[in-house]
Amino acid sequence: MASVTHKSHDMGLHTEQLTGRTQQRFFSASEEENYTYPWSFDVDFDNHAEFDAESMSSSEVNRKIRELMQQGFGSITVKNPQAKHSLGVGILNRLKLNFQGSLGYFGCGLNDGPNIHISGRVGWSCAENMMAGTVLIEQNAGSTFGAAMRGGDLVCRGDVGSRTGIDQKGGTIIIGGRSGAFSGFMMQRGRMVICGDAGKNLGDSMYDGTIYVGGEVEDLGVDCVPGEMTDNELKWLINKLGMYDIEPSCGIANMKKFVAGKQLWNYDNLEPAEKKLVL
Amino acid sequence: MKNNVDQSWLVESATFSRPVIREIQRAAREGIYDIRGFGAKRRLPTFDDLLLLGASMSRYPLEGYREKCDTQVTLGDRFAEKPLVIETPITIAGMSFGALSAQAKEGLARGATEVGTSTTTGDGGMTPEERQHSRLLVYQYLPSRYGMNPVDLRKADAIEVVVGQGAKPGGGGMLLGQKISDRVAEMRDLPKGIDQRSACRHPDWTGPDDLEIKVQELREITDWMVPIYIKVGATRTFFDVQLAVKAGADVVVVDGMQGGTAATQDVFIEHVGIPTLPAVRIAVDALKDLGMHRKVQLIVSGGIRSGADVAKALALGADAVSIGTAALIAMGDNSPEYEDKYNELGTSAGFYDDYQDGQDPTGISTQNPDLGKLLDPDIAGRRVANYLRVMTLELQTLARAAGKTNVRNLEREDLVALTVESSAMARVPLAGTNWIPGFESTQ
Repeated sequence: MASVTHKSHDMGLHTEQLTGRTQQRFFSASEEENYTYPWSFDVDFDNHAEFDAESMSSSEVNRKIRELMQQGFGSITVKNPQAKHSLGVGILNRLKLNFQGSLGYFGCGLNDGPNIHISGRVGWSCAENMMAGTVLIEQNAGSTFGAAMRGGDLVCRGDVGSRTGIDQKGGTIIIGGRSGAFSGFMMQRGRMVICGDAGKNLGDSMYDGTIYVGGEVEDLGVDCVPGEMTDNELKWLINKLGMYDIEPSCGIANMKKFVAGKQLWNYDNLEPAEKKLVL
Repeated sequence: MKNNVDQSWLVESATFSRPVIREIQRAAREGIYDIRGFGAKRRLPTFDDLLLLGASMSRYPLEGYREKCDTQVTLGDRFAEKPLVIETPITIAGMSFGALSAQAKEGLARGATEVGTSTTTGDGGMTPEERQHSRLLVYQYLPSRYGMNPVDLRKADAIEVVVGQGAKPGGGGMLLGQKISDRVAEMRDLPKGIDQRSACRHPDWTGPDDLEIKVQELREITDWMVPIYIKVGATRTFFDVQLAVKAGADVVVVDGMQGGTAATQDVFIEHVGIPTLPAVRIAVDALKDLGMHRKVQLIVSGGIRSGADVAKALALGADAVSIGTAALIAMGDNSPEYEDKYNELGTSAGFYDDYQDGQDPTGISTQNPDLGKLLDPDIAGRRVANYLRVMTLELQTLARAAGKTNVRNLEREDLVALTVESSAMARVPLAGTNWIPGFESTQ
């Protein structure tokens, strides 16, 4: 009978009665590797290295950064990044990383931990999906700045493009200058501080989170409403902006706050009469 | 209808049928579109409209049970250092934790692993149960980025950038408040109990040129190790597939309009996109036009139910297929076993599509912990594995009958069409003729 069972198994005629708990478990909670980050290294912040990226591809630059971290360098300067795309991405480590120049698209994306300084500008989607750490940009940034960001501080001293903090899920975005249209679009959590003017449709369809604006707001998006600034928020703004030596021209005390109106939270479940109120 | 009415003279309007009348009156009463799950229910051209030509005098068949007929497929060897090798060309499509219970996700993972194929995450991120039980796990990279993090990204065996899905190409995800439990809310960084609407576009890129750079970023993060898929809903398939290849995809996934969803407006499910049948053929033509057929692998999905469907999809030029709805059915979805429970919900086995409500009596499309417990992931996994095995055996049976030692050797020449529509869509001749409507053969 056993051989019949075996043959039926090989032929694929496998029934619930014939099978047992045969499936292998590939990941075990007791295995250490499931609790460590891949490509994370023990680095020393006092150990500094620098290299010139002028003749290197994006892959070569990223691999060089990883090699240096593996060697224990905790402070790395990259000269002449020349606006190459996807530089300094996927770093799951404590690290001081300094780019002397500008980055292209998707710079510093999906990072978890490093403190990054960029002396120039950044293209679209800088620090998208950042989990933790800081990214400080001295000049301007492109659109979708900090898209889907989940933690850490993302700071641009200059102006940024449209859809800043789109799908933001946490962390803090600070803009020293102006921010383009649809900033905070579908924002879920976290805080956004725009010291200058905000473009049209600010906070459109935001689920939650808070936006502070120092300058003029062209108009608010769907379900974004003014909020009441609290003393604690003022203290937080003073501390946070002070960390980066940024202050809105209107003064922090005069900044405005915007939050989700929460009218769309249960739109599809609302009774018809309630929908009329929303619309 | 009352028995004393003479029904012989009653004529139902084809335009305003009873379901149409009911829907108009429901809309008038409730003031909002109908939301439901499942896929398109209307009659569409399917693989049933094609037939395979078995071998005879002009072709030499293989012996049905013994002769070797390979089913192994390698996916993603264009750029990735570690392409996926799957033992059967049938994979499990992306379905989210949130839409499905953790037990259902685990069951799918167990079933796929048992037969050596891959399963796929969904909107909402990767659950530990799913990773634990999946030997090959494809991590979906979606517009919402719910639960997305670089650690899980590096745990994946492949990454699927989802541009669209067949049930709602051009639309975003929807998960109603009933299913936003504590765990789902935490994974998605959302307040509990709200109606979640995912964006229809990715937040950080807008077009194919951007996507090319985005794919490069994902490769940098994963050190060019794992394949990157790009998934599109079937609409302007020829151009979409070519742009996906241009953007650097290792694998292109095309999801036809029969593909399922957990929650979308009914009007979207039934009226947007093109069926899987023409989508496969168009996608293959697009790859051939670029000289990339078989270099970039093609996975098709949307309404795949049997080994016959798989054989016909492969014969049209696909490298593999994905199943979603069929895998849920294998686990027990819409089973007559639950008829009483379905009746309590005002429906019946075979008709249940209210996945959005989270009251699924099978424990599959729910976040209710009590309902979720009704699904044993081990048994669910075995059912999925059995189903995948049966489909594979059926596929091999048909391929052997057509004289193929490898299921990938099935070709368009092995097919004929039963209807004028399917002949035109699949560009195979109408049975008994050498005529393909709307197509002038160069031969």
